[in-house]
Amino acid sequence: MRFKHIIGLLCAASISVMLAGHAFAQEKTVKIGAVYPLSGNAASAGVHAKAAIEVAMDIINNPHPEFGNFPLAKNAGLAGLGGAKVEVVFADNQGSPATGQNQALRLITEEKVVALTGSYQSGITLTASAIAEKYGIPFVNGESVAANLTERGFKWFFRVTPVAADFAKIYYEFLKDMKAAGVKTDSVALVHDNTEYGTSVSSVITSVFKDNGQSIALDIAYAVNATDVQSQILQLKEKKPDVVIMIAYASDAILYAKTMQALDYKPPMIIADDSGYSDPSFIKSVGKISQGVLNRSSWSVGPPGSPTALIAEMYKKKSGDEMDDTAGRQMQAFFVLCGAIDRAGSTDPAKIQAALKATDLKPDQLMMGYKGIKFDEKGQNVLASGLVIQLQDGENYVAVWPKANAEKTPVLPYKGW
Amino acid sequence: MRRLLWLSVVLALVVAYPLLFSTPFQQRLGALVLLYAIAASAWNIVGGYAGQVSVGHVVFFGCGAYAAMGAYAHFALSPLVGIPVGIVISVAISAIIGVPTLRLSGHYFSMATIAVAELVRLIVTNTGYLGAAVGLSGPTVPRNVFDLSFISALPYYYLFLAVLALTLGITWWIANSRMGFYLRAIRDSERAARSLGAPASRTKLYAFMLSAGLTSVAGALYAMMFGFVDPESGLGILISVKMLIMAALGGAGLLFGPLVGAAILVPLEEISNNLLGGKGAGLTFVLYGAIIVLIARFQPGGILMLVKRMIAKRRSKLPSAEARGAAHAP
Amino acid sequence: MSSILVQVIVGGLLLGAVYALFSSGLTLVWGMMNIVNFAHGDFVMLGMYVAFVVWTLFGAGPWAGAPLAALVLATLGVVVYFGLIRDIMKGPMLAQILGTFGLALLLRYSVFWWFGANFLSLPENLVGGTFEVAGLRIQASRLLAGAVALLVTLGLHLLLTRTSLGSKMLAVAEDSTAAQLMGIRPDTMQAIAWAIAAGATGLAGALIATFFYIVPTVGETLGIVAFVTVSLGGFGSVPGALVAGLLIGVIESLSGYLIGPVYKDMVVYSLFLGFLWFRPQGLMGKS
Repeated sequence: MRFKHIIGLLCAASISVMLAGHAFAQEKTVKIGAVYPLSGNAASAGVHAKAAIEVAMDIINNPHPEFGNFPLAKNAGLAGLGGAKVEVVFADNQGSPATGQNQALRLITEEKVVALTGSYQSGITLTASAIAEKYGIPFVNGESVAANLTERGFKWFFRVTPVAADFAKIYYEFLKDMKAAGVKTDSVALVHDNTEYGTSVSSVITSVFKDNGQSIALDIAYAVNATDVQSQILQLKEKKPDVVIMIAYASDAILYAKTMQALDYKPPMIIADDSGYSDPSFIKSVGKISQGVLNRSSWSVGPPGSPTALIAEMYKKKSGDEMDDTAGRQMQAFFVLCGAIDRAGSTDPAKIQAALKATDLKPDQLMMGYKGIKFDEKGQNVLASGLVIQLQDGENYVAVWPKANAEKTPVLPYKGW
Repeated sequence: MRRLLWLSVVLALVVAYPLLFSTPFQQRLGALVLLYAIAASAWNIVGGYAGQVSVGHVVFFGCGAYAAMGAYAHFALSPLVGIPVGIVISVAISAIIGVPTLRLSGHYFSMATIAVAELVRLIVTNTGYLGAAVGLSGPTVPRNVFDLSFISALPYYYLFLAVLALTLGITWWIANSRMGFYLRAIRDSERAARSLGAPASRTKLYAFMLSAGLTSVAGALYAMMFGFVDPESGLGILISVKMLIMAALGGAGLLFGPLVGAAILVPLEEISNNLLGGKGAGLTFVLYGAIIVLIARFQPGGILMLVKRMIAKRRSKLPSAEARGAAHAP
Repeated sequence: MSSILVQVIVGGLLLGAVYALFSSGLTLVWGMMNIVNFAHGDFVMLGMYVAFVVWTLFGAGPWAGAPLAALVLATLGVVVYFGLIRDIMKGPMLAQILGTFGLALLLRYSVFWWFGANFLSLPENLVGGTFEVAGLRIQASRLLAGAVALLVTLGLHLLLTRTSLGSKMLAVAEDSTAAQLMGIRPDTMQAIAWAIAAGATGLAGALIATFFYIVPTVGETLGIVAFVTVSLGGFGSVPGALVAGLLIGVIESLSGYLIGPVYKDMVVYSLFLGFLWFRPQGLMGKS
């Protein structure tokens, strides 16, 4: 009798352990929403962003000891939440501020995400983050640069990326160094599209340069998605500026490169402002005829075996394209968000918000070349910064400035094809 | 009598919708349907009843949206102030562009309105006062109820429903007046209408101005709900096309056509985006495009025409000559 | 200075020829059937992708890609005619916009689904690079496109005015019931018109691909230019589209250079609207 009793107890115990084990196997997941342009004119950027976030999920959710001390990589899942896995629900903003907001609402109320990231176009980030603010859900943005985003007095909005004022400072400092090295940089021309991105970046560059006593000799605005850019190139050809700063999306950037070759125009120095010139399609399409183009970036692949090199490799495997700065900034923002959730040890939005506010990451904890990540009271990362990179072999950008981060020295003048 | 019964059942369902489908997304979906139905119904007056296919109505939509956001951004007023301002501006603009373009016939009118819309979009994109490419935003945190910035879509739903009722009421009144008679005559044959003494130019212009004013209300409501307008979302040609295809899909020139079109297309677009958009493979629009193609192919007169014909068929075994005639209108 | 101005004008003419090239197909169906094809820009886009596939698979340039694109698109044109256009023509004009807009989305996003959203490009020197004549830089690929534009315009014009097929097509366009009584089958004629129009559009796409980027949404950028070109030239007038295309190209180039590139589209639209005030039927359209 007693024996039977014991057996019964053992059975019950083993069943309950199994049940508990089962419950344990049904891991906790943390749901995060990501709203990107997955169709429409900016779909190329959105699809790359999606691939970048998926790589970040892989790094966080699976053990990656090869990453060393890189945050969230070593063990599987978020340690702060008992190894909970991160699940991302992607949504398409279709390039429309209205759709972006609808999708943000759906992710918050139906998918019950604990935080949001996105949405590439500044106008859509604006409307999508407005709904997150109303619901009290953290929104971490990694790539939208419009100045007004952090001027709204929002408490749930955080922006990791550098903004136009930071870019302008980089260009000014870089040109100062080049001038000291004997390169002629007296007359600067700006070529920019008339989108919110092109207009705001160019106007900030103009005012920062002016404050430092450097005037802009030529300012050429053009309508985005141009069918033809010959007149812009011919204007440049006529005015012969020493430095041309290009602020363009991928479609126009490709057309500029092709047209410059066709009209045989090579300025002594071209500095591109990220976006279009960082798009992997740009290098694939016209990299061979854009040798020596300088570009602003916060991303560099780094030495083999480093976390950034590993990320670059994983990303290439996932998307078939090289990692670019925009995808990198989005991925960095996602890491910041997941890091905050990990530190909060909770999926309570208020606790995540508090953890985001307390964020203080050092450069060696980042994949991007920022000086760190620390948010001011408006939610802007005050330590965001960038490097100048150059397309030297027609296939890959290498860091050339500032000296501390440079892998190679800048090669001037612009070589073209 | 039966018709009245059906109408009241449908009306009751429409009023009760946000209570029956009460998640925030469903309520918002309902509000969006009504919003697009307002715009498409406004378009319907000139595009459906008068047969003047304007592809430039987004100009008036934009007037309303910019007036609402401008009232807040420049004068710290309630965006509601933008509604009358938007109406005045868009009626004035419609008169300015209506006089030269309404002389054009058929496709030339459509193309001229596209050109006007693109021109206005380009001008606004380069006008600093209107926010240029960055756009104008509404109140981020509502100061009072007149800012019309709500978390829930419920107030929007009933506000839009009231405006839609007003729009449909005006449309019904016009359609059954002498003006409506002229408009239909112009649609069927402008030359014949003129020879019978209908003041074609004046009637078309009045319809255009009325339609413009109502469209601008839709634009203002849109901007209030989303709290933002920029050249692409307020003046992009795609919005004109949406108004047009909603009216066409439901049944252009029919009172409830645009509402039916919006009730099909808006959920189709949103729900297919919910299900397929996150994959990033463009499948949302493959599905959306395919369904539109199928409807156009098999029901070129619009969904409501099919319903009408079915009802007519049941009443008398013979197919109604009227329904067929309308479906084949040029 | 003036040599740059000449370069601007020559560039504008070459650009205008390209506009004319991808508009000729649109004006043909518009004139023949009074149909606005909102999917026209996406037909151009399909032609570009055919050229791209031919180049990646066989390494062949537009010599192979362009005829193949014409063939593929002509087939598609016939399929679209019998599958969709024939039926929506019986409905109101709105049904045409509805149907072709749906078709545009369907084509655009099917390509998106298959090829992805990345920008693609053909190698720069596929058509012999750039050469210099009297100080002017001329891109061989654009010159080829321009020459083909002239040939296509001439060919279509001769076809419509000098051949019995052309007069049958015009008879159907004029009065399809009367044509039917004379023993012409409107269906066949209209299907042929769609095949020719779509084929010419595919050809245009394949040639444009030699100097433009390729992306699923490129049809949106090009489609609206085609609409303006065709209405300026007069619906149905193939020579009109050529003149209008060249005119728009030169105006864009000059205004872009002299006033500023951001204003060039505004100049084109304003002139277009002003022109319609004086000549509501376009340059060479029938009143």
